Amino acid sequence: MSELSVDHLLGIKYLKPEDIDLIFKTADHFKEVINRPIKKVPSLRDITIANLFFENSTRTRLSFELAEKRLSADVINFSSASSSVKKGETLIDTVNNILAMKVDMVVMRHPNPGAGIFLSKHVDASIVNAGDGTHEHPTQALLDSYSIRERLGEVKGKKIVIVGDIMHSRVALSNIFALKLQGAEVKVCGPKTLIPKHIESLGVKVETNLIKALEWCDVANMLRVQNERMEISYFPSTREYTQQFGLNKKILDSLNKEIVVMHPGPINRGVEITSDVADSNQAIILDQVQNGVAIRMAVIYLLASKINR
Amino acid sequence: MKLLLKSAKIIDPTSSYHLKTLDIFIENGTIEKIGKSLKINKCDREIKLKDLHVSKGWIDTSVSFGEPGYEERETINNGLDTAAKSGFTQIALNPNTNPIIDDNGAITSVLSKAKDHAVQLFAIGALTRRAEGKDLAELFDMHTAGAIAFGDYKRPTSHPNLLKLALQYAQNFDGMVQSYPQDNQIAGNGLVNEGINSTYLGLKGIPAFAEELQIVRDLAILEYTGGKLHIPTISTEKSVKLIRNAKKNGLDVSCSVTIHNLLFTDDVLAEFDTHMKVLPPLRTKNDVKALIKGLKDGTIDMLTSDHTPIDIEHKKIEFEHALYGTIGLESAFGALQKIFSLEETIKFLTKGRERFKIKEPQIEEGTEANLSLFSPGEEYKFSKEHIASTSRNSIFLDFNMKGKVYGIINKNAMAI
Repeated sequence: MSELSVDHLLGIKYLKPEDIDLIFKTADHFKEVINRPIKKVPSLRDITIANLFFENSTRTRLSFELAEKRLSADVINFSSASSSVKKGETLIDTVNNILAMKVDMVVMRHPNPGAGIFLSKHVDASIVNAGDGTHEHPTQALLDSYSIRERLGEVKGKKIVIVGDIMHSRVALSNIFALKLQGAEVKVCGPKTLIPKHIESLGVKVETNLIKALEWCDVANMLRVQNERMEISYFPSTREYTQQFGLNKKILDSLNKEIVVMHPGPINRGVEITSDVADSNQAIILDQVQNGVAIRMAVIYLLASKINR
Repeated sequence: MKLLLKSAKIIDPTSSYHLKTLDIFIENGTIEKIGKSLKINKCDREIKLKDLHVSKGWIDTSVSFGEPGYEERETINNGLDTAAKSGFTQIALNPNTNPIIDDNGAITSVLSKAKDHAVQLFAIGALTRRAEGKDLAELFDMHTAGAIAFGDYKRPTSHPNLLKLALQYAQNFDGMVQSYPQDNQIAGNGLVNEGINSTYLGLKGIPAFAEELQIVRDLAILEYTGGKLHIPTISTEKSVKLIRNAKKNGLDVSCSVTIHNLLFTDDVLAEFDTHMKVLPPLRTKNDVKALIKGLKDGTIDMLTSDHTPIDIEHKKIEFEHALYGTIGLESAFGALQKIFSLEETIKFLTKGRERFKIKEPQIEEGTEANLSLFSPGEEYKFSKEHIASTSRNSIFLDFNMKGKVYGIINKNAMAI
């Protein structure tokens, strides 16, 4: 396969396994590029990309911007924590105004699930979903799988547990789709109040005991507790959360095997994982960040190659 | 005015003319004669239409327009025109206007705006002042003005004591209280049915039990207070069971179901299409099955299109921000015939009057002509050209339909 089966990256659920293979192969190449002294290729000199962030983001925005610049695309940035609707302008109008300035691709983060899909139907540009509410965060899931593949050789057959706030997490949902698509086994672990009631319909198992989950897994992906997405409190205190679902070095060392620890960032040190875990050899958190640039370069490069230029 | 309907097949199991193809002569709004090949002198209009069928006029007990306050969505006049074109001779208007229809003056105002139309409009008054769920509105005064029931549309009466008081108070004048079945605390920020699809799409869900819990509560209150309770638009399998049992136990409760909740499941949400965003939310196959069974066995007293015009500015936006609702008058007949026989369809489209104390029309000589005219056979794809409403937010766009409507004869007027 030489091109993606989709024209937009709206979610992992719209991809085929071959798409993921292609993205990973392309990312391998770009990973080599970004470790060269001259970290840049001229591939997208004729492409203009708008990064539209309707929700706060630091690392994802920087990672996308860096990926775009390393491909030599022209980049414009738009950040607004308050949604466009609140300002009176609709999302379609905002984006069409930007597209009128001859933009080819839109990378969008938005607080509403399905916002990228909605946009892809109403505007004429290639859309990359950089996180849409509690729906998907496809590039994060791709970089997570890529990092697992890098550390463990392959994703197929591996046992991955996703720990934490599953209900409010687009990272969890995209990871579940991506891991299942590649043939991994997936469990989710967290307080029942933060696990969607019907999550097992996605082919994952629920484990509410962290130690049991860790003893089972090859990889633990420790999610951040998303207080900003909670309208009520789903657990009594952070302290209690950490007592039950926080990963510390003592637990890690008590396991009879060496598991890989991941975190999509930003870390609440001492809450989901302690500093000694985050900084240990078993953690691949910074590898994830570096791979994020390569994966985003691959996604943007492959989507741009489908644009009529 | 003298009207002659030529070769009309009468669909009305309660009439002696059921399934007969006859001419119907109507003079000044009264069916004067029904017979074969009638010859009438100086007829104002002779109506000959292909495959013409007639039935008692159809009724819809939950219709929203936008007047006053949201005229950009729909006016009373165009709304009633739409109802007529869709075969409805009577509709009950919800009080979800701006200002809310919550007093005698507002009831009088909407009734007077509709008085010259062929479609008869009945008004439902708000149960509480401004539908805020705090203090009872002037129910008796609205009853005097002609309100046929009282409810805060889709705002649930969250305070149990308020519903208790309403059910007790309305008994003085045999008034009917409507209670929207949703526990808002359980529903939370939910947008669609909680289930496999909401999980897959990352959308917050409204669990079925948000509806069922409220119904359990309402039935317990009704058991205590007595009175008449109508639960509009139920949507789950268990809700049907709860109401079936309550009726067995002698409670004076009725309920309705929307047409779209009988035809769609939450599987259609995959594309985040805001046309599919309705309240109550689309549920699962099992719910649809139970709702259809409940309608057939009489547990569900009536169906409704739950016609809710929403302007494009509030629909062509992100799913989370889009308003709930679909228009449904235009699509009602064609959609129902996809799942029910013609006779069943007509039966369901004419049910509900008794509960709202609206006089039952008849197709007999000497009775007032209240008729719907239609052709049941034609199949077509529902598209924007079939929409008469000001707003075009139809869940049925691109849906395959069976049966077209010619119009109505009612109140000594004709809309064909």
